[in-house]
Amino acid sequence: MSKLDRCYNIADLRAAAQRRLPRGVFEFVDRGSEDEVALRNNRAAFERIKLKHRALVDVSGRSMATTLFGKPVSMPMAIAPTGAAGLCWHEGELELAKAAAQAKIPFTLATGAMTSMEKIAEQAGPAVGGRLWFQLYVWKQRELSYQLIERAKAAGFEALIVTTDTIVPPNREYNDRNGFLLPFYPTMRFTLDVMRHPTWVANVLLKYLTTIGMPRNENFPEPYRHRVTSNDPARAQVMRQDSLSWDDIRTFRKMWPGILMLKGVNRPDDAVKALDYGVDGLIVSNHGGRNMDSAVATIDALPDIAEAVNDRATVILDSGVRRGSDIAKALALGAKAVLTGRVTLFGTAVAGQAGAAKAISIIRNELDKTMAYTGCRAVDEITPDIFFGASEGNRLRDRVAMVA
Amino acid sequence: MSALDRCFNIADLRAAAQRRLPRGVFEFVDRGTEDEMGLRNNRTAFERIKLMHRALVDVSDRSTATMLFGKPATLPMVIAPTGAAGLCWHEGELELAKAAAQAKIPLALSTASMTAMEKIVAAGGPAVGGRLWFQLYVWKQRELSHKLIERVKNNGFEALIVTVDSPVGPNREYNQRNGFGLPFSPTPRFAMDILRHPAWARSVLLKYFTSIGFPRHENYPPEYQKSILSGVGSRDALRADSLDWDDIARFRDMWPGILMLKGVNRADDATKAIQYGLDGLVVSNHGGRNMDSAPATIDLLPEVVEAVGDRATVILDSGVRRGSDIAKALALGAKAVLTGRATLYGTAVGGTAGALKAIGLIRNELDKTMAYTGCRTVDEISTDIFFGSRHTNRWREAAD
Repeated sequence: MSKLDRCYNIADLRAAAQRRLPRGVFEFVDRGSEDEVALRNNRAAFERIKLKHRALVDVSGRSMATTLFGKPVSMPMAIAPTGAAGLCWHEGELELAKAAAQAKIPFTLATGAMTSMEKIAEQAGPAVGGRLWFQLYVWKQRELSYQLIERAKAAGFEALIVTTDTIVPPNREYNDRNGFLLPFYPTMRFTLDVMRHPTWVANVLLKYLTTIGMPRNENFPEPYRHRVTSNDPARAQVMRQDSLSWDDIRTFRKMWPGILMLKGVNRPDDAVKALDYGVDGLIVSNHGGRNMDSAVATIDALPDIAEAVNDRATVILDSGVRRGSDIAKALALGAKAVLTGRVTLFGTAVAGQAGAAKAISIIRNELDKTMAYTGCRAVDEITPDIFFGASEGNRLRDRVAMVA
Repeated sequence: MSALDRCFNIADLRAAAQRRLPRGVFEFVDRGTEDEMGLRNNRTAFERIKLMHRALVDVSDRSTATMLFGKPATLPMVIAPTGAAGLCWHEGELELAKAAAQAKIPLALSTASMTAMEKIVAAGGPAVGGRLWFQLYVWKQRELSHKLIERVKNNGFEALIVTVDSPVGPNREYNQRNGFGLPFSPTPRFAMDILRHPAWARSVLLKYFTSIGFPRHENYPPEYQKSILSGVGSRDALRADSLDWDDIARFRDMWPGILMLKGVNRADDATKAIQYGLDGLVVSNHGGRNMDSAPATIDLLPEVVEAVGDRATVILDSGVRRGSDIAKALALGAKAVLTGRATLYGTAVGGTAGALKAIGLIRNELDKTMAYTGCRTVDEISTDIFFGSRHTNRWREAAD
């Protein structure tokens, strides 16, 4: 019985990942920012929503399959962009991307990934049934970002996701405390941490060191593609993101003929504006509770956005998804899909591709059962009708009902 | 002083059951599903409802007796169908049935029980004052279910309860973890678990071995009965996710007695059930054991009662651990409650005596709640006993 066989839910995968990873890496993946109010609230908001059993619907032919941007997916979920997959497993992004292709859901590669987009496209792209999206952090030197966009286009990525909620780096105090930083700096504390996790050193770090050396941000522009250990102040200056504005989105729209999404649109007025700029998809996200600690839970922000967008773009929910039932709740409130970041990272940290596949299948199984219990045979049948009325979760339903 | 004498409430019986049962069996009985939100919520929803003392009503001749489907019961309570009674005690269903008959409350026998219905009828049926109901899981091969219904009818059960909240098996991760499943496979982990509970192995498992071998689902069709060890291959035949209203129409034609649905949690489903000629509806989330996001049944009850009116008997299931819970359910329109775990804990500790103890505890608690709130009969229990300005009072406001 492998470690993976003893994981029956995402919490189990998380615990197994915690044992395996150096504390600095684990906390970087797992935790939020400041007092972690947003992190907890993302979960509490999902848990407040109660669903009603539907009796006597023949659900034997039910299916989670749907389409996203006109193409089929096996379930309404995509892998979120995450920067540390390559520290969870040797070339973790590749493992994740392969798992996604196999599970027939899209995979999003992060700007900060440690595997090059060309390698991902070659091994987990359309040739093997994969759908690849690229997440963009926009740098102060715009031409560097433009080069990156051209590179993503050339590599055949079908969608570009511009992250708009992280213009300044968050206060991740625990990472200051445990000595782990990205780009990381070999602090004494983190060095000790690494030494206490010899399996990780052997399976992850050594594999990099014996091939490419210290893992690098492989998608950064050549002059800045330093090792992740580098902490060059000049690079930090070039990569500042706090000047990003709507004008940039206009430029990106012109440059990028494929699917264009914004990640971190949490206000209806921003959503409406995004439509004016020709954006195809909007991701309601508080970055997994990892940047602004006072951010509203995304499941609470979602109804307003869905209402404002009103089918003129695809709305996707990110942040806090840990159970299949969370997907049902998001879909009922107007999302077409969710992104999962930590869920699949925990899996990757435990067993690479097999672990990511396990995480996906756990969530898939949970969504399947939730659909059966609520009497939904297809994802299109998931509506606020499945919500319980007089509970707090109904606040959302009332709002949706008022809109309808 | 026996183990039972030291149990002064259901929580004590639970703790005693936990000591006695292998962990796999105990958790199967005790726990919920996934994050156990549904399980906890069932309790907190009851606990949120506050009752007001009524002063100076002579309650010296109060009674918990009531009528259910036109026949008397000493208490507005029924033993819920549970699959694992036979693992809590040797032929646990039989012990439970005897206790129910003695206490003069109905017992619902589960499709999955390990004692044959014929045996239950002989020892806990009308001959000894028992009222027997039968719970039905509907299988993919409908003719098997139809045969089972005929068997139930021939055995004189007064009611048939069709479970409609379990089209798929739940995610009971703890049972995967502790190695216990039904049908169960002898995992090393569960085997160790059993070895650590020699009293249980001797008084439950060995008694089966020396008589019938491994406990079996005695009410399953013969070709799927075998033992609870088997199940591979029968899974698909027993799949229930195609159950729909057409089946209910069919059952209504086949079953002249009292027909109930268990797991009706929506007003629209309740209204539809009335159209299909159902006599009773059980509001249930399966004890928080299947969909973890399910609302508490005491929160769902008012809208179901509102939809049904007096056209059918509404019963509440899931989360009842105290007599006061029954008063709260009755005030909100239920005619009775089902108790599953409360009496299973008792059964696990002392067979019939333990089940009787559990019933006695709850009866005593309901009696005191009625006295404090000034109710002399169960019919006098209304939302008038509720403390006013809370959201639990929704139903009362609607009634006004």
